[in-house]
Amino acid sequence: MTIHPLFPNVTDRETHEFFEAAAEGRLVFRACNACDHALHPPTAHCPYCGAWDTAWRNAEGTGRLHAWTTVTHQIHPAFPAPYTLVVVELDDAPEVRLIGHMDGTPPLVADMPMEVWFQALPNGPTLPQWRPAA
Amino acid sequence: MLDDETAFLGRDKCAVAGIGQTAFARDSGRSVLSLATEAALKALEDAGLTVDDVDGIVRADVDTVTPYSLAAALGVNNLSYWGDTGPGGVAPCMMMGLAIGAILSGQAKTVIAFRSLNGRSEARLGGSGQRVGAETVGGFGTYDEYYLPYGLLSAGQTFALMAQRHMLEYGTTAEQLGAVALACREHANLTPHAQMQSKPLTMDEYLSARMISTPLRLFDFCLESDGACAVVITTAERARDLRKPSVLISGVAGGAPPDRRAGMMFPVVTRQDMTDLGGRRAGETLWKRAGLGPSEIDIAQLYDCFTISVILQLEAYGFCAKGEGGPFAASGAIRRDGSLPINTGGGHLSEGYVHGMNHIVQAVRQLRGEADMQIAGAETCLVTGGPLPVGSSVVFRKAS
Repeated sequence: MTIHPLFPNVTDRETHEFFEAAAEGRLVFRACNACDHALHPPTAHCPYCGAWDTAWRNAEGTGRLHAWTTVTHQIHPAFPAPYTLVVVELDDAPEVRLIGHMDGTPPLVADMPMEVWFQALPNGPTLPQWRPAA
Repeated sequence: MLDDETAFLGRDKCAVAGIGQTAFARDSGRSVLSLATEAALKALEDAGLTVDDVDGIVRADVDTVTPYSLAAALGVNNLSYWGDTGPGGVAPCMMMGLAIGAILSGQAKTVIAFRSLNGRSEARLGGSGQRVGAETVGGFGTYDEYYLPYGLLSAGQTFALMAQRHMLEYGTTAEQLGAVALACREHANLTPHAQMQSKPLTMDEYLSARMISTPLRLFDFCLESDGACAVVITTAERARDLRKPSVLISGVAGGAPPDRRAGMMFPVVTRQDMTDLGGRRAGETLWKRAGLGPSEIDIAQLYDCFTISVILQLEAYGFCAKGEGGPFAASGAIRRDGSLPINTGGGHLSEGYVHGMNHIVQAVRQLRGEADMQIAGAETCLVTGGPLPVGSSVVFRKAS
């Protein structure tokens, strides 16, 4: 049996642009046009100023490593252990943190610079991923 | 938060009159409806009431047994109020709020609150085997599409990230997490029905157990259990005349963290302070509603899905300062002879995992003076619900 990875729903009305941008090699986040506050997870309404005027913005694709965990107990066939989940805080918008998947047990240090790369899943959508900055 | 503590109309107006539970096991061999029925009948018997007294039933949103099904199975003929709350393990404390609201507004006189699950044999909550074969994941307001496709799949992995931040920021250690696991295990060793009753745990065994998701090891994780618990709630006045000593519901409060993020559990990783719980806000409201503070709490049943969740809640509810939960736990304060014995039946880590409901049953046992590992003189007990994405809490008090 072929084990398919867990494909994200890329048609959600609130988040589909994130995956569409990733397929084009761009990292985006939602922000409020009225008060400039980043909104993540993205919402159509800005809870900080009350505006409905929110839009997707391009991110530089760099960030800092905020936290990580190495999963040593496998619970899903598509994710063989060990692997490491990283939580990266965007340099452009510290209010936004995104997840990345790294194979094995890479050497990591808190606050180290990270950079985005784009993983096209076979026969599936593209995920922004993260690795230590070159 | 309520500015005026007197705005809460529920203080000591309602009581838990009866408690019931099934055995906790790895495979009950029975349906969840059968388990719920047994727990509810035992709770009614304990209170000296019958199914004819019941007119309300509340449950957790994730329970597959509906109030109507339970009423049908019990033979309740007068069901006129029902409700559910959550999410998940947040539910049991909030159920006390639903029951109080129904009773004090005249919508019900006698409410059963229950949780029933085959959490090991049928529907494991730890993520094992879930979502295999799903075409896509997330969407529809869950925001899981940002997390599951990366392999962030479970509560355990999420709490592992929170534990790592707590270690980075405050120097919390594995031994301090282990102190929580050992305290709960010692209490289970003195509780005959606890799933880990016959299995002592040493710090060496804790530290040498296999890693699951760094920095959390096997015994940082709670059990997966089959079982059900139920309690019967009615007015304090009526409870006074029933079979067992009354245990009053002094206050109930939920709370959301100030850094609000849509979605369920995973978006906690985006909170600027990943270790600030909604429980902190719940506690601030709770103490006003109950008319007492953490220094007046004799014992606590803290939601221990993981050891780190206990440490975070010791801080959130004001038993120690932020960042000092690890040393507080390691000081022995949370053991049976400490200043704040916690999870006095063994908790989710070692008694059984009935998604918070066994903590309420244990609180009532202690305040009645009928617990297996009885804490002498216990008159007040804090119970907390699941720590993500919001918090929930109750203060129970022995009736004078």
